[in-house]
Amino acid sequence: MTIQLLNGIVYGGLLYLLAVGLVLIFGLREVVNFAHGALFMLGSYIGFTLAAAGHWWLGLLVSVVAMAAVGCLLDVLVFRSLRKHDHIVTVLITFGLLLILETVVTVTWGKAYLSYPVPKLLDGTVTIAGSPFPIYRLFIIAVSLLVAGGLAAWLRFTRMGLYVRAASTNPHVTSLQGIDVDRLSLVVVGLGTALAGLSGVVAGPLLTLSPTMGNYILIDSFIVVVIGGLGSFAGAFFAALLIGQIHNLGAIYLPWAATMLPFLLMIGILIWRPTGFAGSRT
Amino acid sequence: MSALAQNEIAAPRSDLRRTGPLLAIAVVALALGAAAPWLVPSQLTLSLATQAIFDALLATSVGFLVLQNGRVSFGQAAFFGLGGYAFGVLLARGLMAPELAFLTALALPTLIAFLLGLVFARIAGVAHAMLTLAVGQAFYEIAFRWRELAKGDDGMSFNLPSRIFGLDSSLLQDPSVMVVVAWSILVLALLGLALFANSRMGQIAAAVRDNAERARFIGHDTTIPPAIVYAISALLAAIAGLLQATYNGYIAPQMFHWSLSGSALIMAVVGGAQFILGPAIGAVCFFILKDFAGRFAEYWPAIVGSVLVVVTLVMPQGIVGLLKAGWLRMRRQP
Repeated sequence: MTIQLLNGIVYGGLLYLLAVGLVLIFGLREVVNFAHGALFMLGSYIGFTLAAAGHWWLGLLVSVVAMAAVGCLLDVLVFRSLRKHDHIVTVLITFGLLLILETVVTVTWGKAYLSYPVPKLLDGTVTIAGSPFPIYRLFIIAVSLLVAGGLAAWLRFTRMGLYVRAASTNPHVTSLQGIDVDRLSLVVVGLGTALAGLSGVVAGPLLTLSPTMGNYILIDSFIVVVIGGLGSFAGAFFAALLIGQIHNLGAIYLPWAATMLPFLLMIGILIWRPTGFAGSRT
Repeated sequence: MSALAQNEIAAPRSDLRRTGPLLAIAVVALALGAAAPWLVPSQLTLSLATQAIFDALLATSVGFLVLQNGRVSFGQAAFFGLGGYAFGVLLARGLMAPELAFLTALALPTLIAFLLGLVFARIAGVAHAMLTLAVGQAFYEIAFRWRELAKGDDGMSFNLPSRIFGLDSSLLQDPSVMVVVAWSILVLALLGLALFANSRMGQIAAAVRDNAERARFIGHDTTIPPAIVYAISALLAAIAGLLQATYNGYIAPQMFHWSLSGSALIMAVVGGAQFILGPAIGAVCFFILKDFAGRFAEYWPAIVGSVLVVVTLVMPQGIVGLLKAGWLRMRRQP
C-alpha cells in the first residue's frame, strides 16, 4: 500500500511540474498553452540525445536551458503580439505550435519508441515497508518537492514573486499599478516552459519516448489546473497529488474506469464550481 | 470570447426579401451538386470531395457553436464519433431495424448534447474548452478500452444491410452517389442554420451569448435556447460521423479523438467562425491544401499548424472575413 501511495505521488509530482507551468503562463497571459505537452516532449528528446551519449546530467541542464529559451521566444513572438486578440485565438495558435513541434520531432528523431536510460547515480532500489522501490522514483518525488518549495518561497518572499501573484490575480490592474507585465511574463513564461523541459527529462526514464508522449500527460495536467483553479499555485499542487493518487489507485482497484475517473471528477467539479477549488477566474 | 463571436450587424427580421436570395442560392447549389457526378469524371476526385464535405459538416457544427453561443468546444468529435458508433454498433449487433438505427444514431447525440448544453452553456471561456475536451476524451477512452463494444483500438468494420429506407444501400458507398447526398445535406444544413440564426430562437440565443443577464432581465428564458444550439450543433456533427461511418463501413476510436475536434475548430477559425459559411469554406480550403501537400504528407501537421498561426496573425476574421472586407472596399471606391 505504501508503495502504491508513493507511486501515486511520483505521477502527481510529474503532473505538478507541468501543471504549475501552465498556471504560471495562464496567470500572466491568460492563455492555456496547448503546446506545453509538446515542449515537455521536446525537452525529453533533447535530454535523451545527450543521455544516450552518456551525459545524463548535462542533458537535464541543456534541456532546461533550451526550453527556457523557447519559452522566452514564445512569449515575445506569440503571446506579446497577440495580447489584444481573443484568448481563444491564442490558445488555437498554441495548438498549431503543438502540431509543428510534433512534426519537427518526428522528422528529427523518428516515430519509433525510444527508452531513456536511468543515470548511474540513481540506479537501483531501496526497501520501503518491506518492498523494493526504485531510487529513481524517489528522485522524482524529491525534484517535484524541491520545485514546489522553491516556487512557493519565491512567490511568497520576493518582490518579483509578489508581482507574479498580483498579476496572476489580475494582470490588468497589476499593469495599471505600474508593473511591467511584459517583462515579468518573459521570466514567468520562460520559467514555466523550463519546468516543462525539466519534467520531460525527469519523466523520460519512466515513460517511453514518442512524438505523442506529451498528449496524455498534458490532458491530465489540464485537469489538474482546472480542478485546482485557474491561476492558483497551491490549488495546482494539491490537485496534482489528488489526480496522481486517483490515477494510480484507480488503475489498481477500478481498472475499467481508471482513465475516466479524472475526467468525471473534473466535469463534476466544474459544474459544482466553475472556477475550480481555489480559483477566482474562469 | 465575445470578439470571436461578435456579429457586426444584428440580423433583421426574417422576411421574403432576406430568405428569398438564400433559397435561390441553395437551389442553385443543390442543382450543381446533383450534376457533379457528370461534370467531374474522376472517381478519385469525387471521393476526395466527399471526404471534404464530411469535414465541412463537422467544422460547421463547431463554428455554429462559436457563432451562436460564443462557446469554443474542444470536444465536438464526441458527437461525430457517437453518430458513427451508434449506427455501426447497432447494425453489427442487429439490435434494431437499420432505419431505426439510423435515426437513433442522430437522436442520441442530439439528446445528450441538449442535456449537456443545459449545464455547459453557463460555463464560459477556458473552463468550457477544458470541459468539452474532457467529455470528448471520456468518450474516446470508452471506445478505446471497451473491446467488446467495437473492438477497441482496432476499430470495427460493419456491413450495411442490403436496403435502407427502401434504397440499395451499397449506393451509399459509391462516391458518385455519396458526394451528392453529402453535398445536399451540407447545403440544406447551411440554409437551416441561416434561417435559425434569423429566427426568434436564434436571436434569443445570440442575446444570451452577448449578455445573459440582460437577456434574462428583459424576460427571456436563458437556458433552453443555448441548449438547443448545442443540440443542433451536435446533430450536424452526428450527421457527419454517421455519413462517414456509412461511407467507409468502418468505425474507430479516432473518430472521438481531441485532435479531430481540434482540427475541426482550426478549420472553422481559419474559414471565419463569425460567418455561417466560414467553417465549411475553411474545411474545403484545408482539404485542397492537403491534396497539394500530398508529397509532403509527413509534414502535414506542421503545415496545418503554420497555416493556422499565419492566418490568425494576418487575418483574424478568417478567409470569409478577408473576402468580405475586400468586397466592401471595392464597393466603396468603384
